[in-house]
Amino acid sequence: MLKPKQMRRVLFVGHKDHLEPTIEVLHDLHVVHIEEYTGEEYFSIGKPLAGVDQDSRMLLKLRSIANFLGIKKSYLEPTSAEKISSELGKKLDELESAVLEKLKRKSEIEANIKDAETNIHEIRVFSGIPLNFDLCRGYETLHVFTGTIKKGAEIEAGLNPITTDYQLYVGTTGTIVLFVPAKYTDEVAELLNDALFNEVNIPAMSGVPDELLGELKTRLDMFVKDLESLSSEINSMKAQYEEFILASEELLSIDTQKKEAPLFFATSEHAFIINGWIPDDEFETLESRVKEATGDRVHIALHEETVDEVAADETDVPIEYDNPKIVKPFEAVMNLYGRPKYHEIDPTTFVFIAFPLFYGMILGDIGYALILLGISLYGISKLHGEGWNSLFTVLIYCNIVTLFFGILYGEFLGFSLAGHVSEGHHVAGLIPGWETIELMHGLGDEMITYPVHRTHIITTLLVLTLLIGVIHINIGLTAGFRNVLVKHGMKAAILEKISWIVLQLGVFLLLLGMMGVVTSMLPGAVVFVLAVIMLVVGEGGTAIMEIPSIMSNVLSYSRLLAVGLSSIGIATAINTMSGMMFDSGGLFIVVAAIIFIFGHALNTALSVIAPGLHALRLQYVEFFTKFYEGGGRIYDPFGYNRIYTEE
Amino acid sequence: MAIELALAGADIDLILANQKGLIAIGAGLAVGLTGLGSAIAEKDIGSAAVGAFTEKEELFGKGLIMTVIPETIVIFGFVIAIMMII
Repeated sequence: MLKPKQMRRVLFVGHKDHLEPTIEVLHDLHVVHIEEYTGEEYFSIGKPLAGVDQDSRMLLKLRSIANFLGIKKSYLEPTSAEKISSELGKKLDELESAVLEKLKRKSEIEANIKDAETNIHEIRVFSGIPLNFDLCRGYETLHVFTGTIKKGAEIEAGLNPITTDYQLYVGTTGTIVLFVPAKYTDEVAELLNDALFNEVNIPAMSGVPDELLGELKTRLDMFVKDLESLSSEINSMKAQYEEFILASEELLSIDTQKKEAPLFFATSEHAFIINGWIPDDEFETLESRVKEATGDRVHIALHEETVDEVAADETDVPIEYDNPKIVKPFEAVMNLYGRPKYHEIDPTTFVFIAFPLFYGMILGDIGYALILLGISLYGISKLHGEGWNSLFTVLIYCNIVTLFFGILYGEFLGFSLAGHVSEGHHVAGLIPGWETIELMHGLGDEMITYPVHRTHIITTLLVLTLLIGVIHINIGLTAGFRNVLVKHGMKAAILEKISWIVLQLGVFLLLLGMMGVVTSMLPGAVVFVLAVIMLVVGEGGTAIMEIPSIMSNVLSYSRLLAVGLSSIGIATAINTMSGMMFDSGGLFIVVAAIIFIFGHALNTALSVIAPGLHALRLQYVEFFTKFYEGGGRIYDPFGYNRIYTEE
Repeated sequence: MAIELALAGADIDLILANQKGLIAIGAGLAVGLTGLGSAIAEKDIGSAAVGAFTEKEELFGKGLIMTVIPETIVIFGFVIAIMMII
């Protein structure tokens, strides 16, 4: 539980004839982490098994079809692998031709739409001109000017002195079509230049612009409709083939994975060697299965010594967590930081306890706990996938603890459930008749009560959180002691980790001395100096600079109180605002409801982020730095997690 | 004489009120300035962390930790502010 799974190094040696059944068994068992062979001395890298080309071609085809149909990963009922593989070839061809046809139609329609759009764009300039385009070109004695001119330019006045033999049409967009005898071309061109003439070419079509436009628009509408019906066809195809595509993709992936596996193996002319890691407890099953499949023709060698003694290889060992099922979701929290190394303590169990505890202590509100429990229970039933699953499970754990603390604090959405006395006035609680009971005196003038009113006993709670910090940090130091002990021996462990505990003792004794509990400061000072000497010997002179860090680490746990108080602050502000609106009556009641709902929705979102991040940070920064390195290799066994198919 | 006493009484009230106000200002400064300090530090670390973890996704956890380290400053400020007010 506190250590990663014990791994053994395993070697398979056999004749190439037995390669395929061996791969089959290894893939099936899904427990061997295969080490890639990279050397090039006597052995060479193996060649993929026959048929891999065809498989990967089919896979490529299938993936491009899935891409075209827009098929995404979803969670369907698994289908029988046998059924899929028997009809794979035929169905894939059928699907391919159907998809190709659709693809062709789609690109045709899209090209048509584009054409129509460009034509409309070209013709629109000429709208309002009652001329067939054919009449605007092909003259020998006439010159035709078509184009735009400056707004409001009076060209007729300028034309008359040149010639009266002209014909001018002006369209609704201000485009002109001007016919003049060819001999006046230069003069007219000059005149038009002054009016900022900008030539527009006549489209290569025949017909009157307005009629053409109408026609093109109806055609465009038709194409758009075609495209819509095509995409609904594609959608129905998607629905029809989704299951098949996902399942066969998985099947082909598995096949190619198996066939390409020899690329990781070392092979000679006739033999193969597979080198890998296996969890200790899986070895016997593996051995018997391989022997059974190959008729005991493949030799399996196990490194005799356990990995504990092969310290040099430590960094190479792939890491698999070994946690009870209830702790498993927190492995996601660990992965965010990094897997443990092989000889390190796996702190998942510590995180499993401390993370929800801190989260609950910070939030501690029945209302938010119930809302978030509802959300996570809904989420876990709707969203699948390992990531979502762990996230929601962690959230459920956290909010169960929050619920407990909520009952302890007697808080519901920032309201106090029990009546209590605040600044000399009695404040009624949300539950009539429930009154706060005084239990005992806390620090200062504070009175510890049930339910605990966090805003009233700040000093006591502050000291309590710091105490929690001291405990948490010392658990970390103890774990660190064990890690260093295994790696570097007793002397280093005492100097590096125990010294910090001694240091805390020194500070504690000094504090007692200052408060007058102990008459002399001397014992504290002696212990403190002793700890500093141990640290300097153990970690070098720079350790002196690190000494204040333990203090700021402990003080950092005050966030267990502070973040909670800020959450109460926000909730109280929302409640006060909506309460004031509510008291005004009339329409303001609606406003009050809106403020209440939106405010608490916002605070619910904050209630995930703020306590979550701060509880996480206390693990990562304050706790892990005392013992944890992380950065272990991921155990990635050869095999496949089937989702869509079953054997 | 009586008037002077009354004036003195008013002065004391004024002084007390002032003290309360000064405490509130102090508390505000404690939270506000430490918040600014945290923010300035976090913006630099945060942008560097995002850069790092787009290159190498495994660094997300470490980046997150680095980013929230300066948050301690504002927590301290907040605690000090509360202790000043109560």
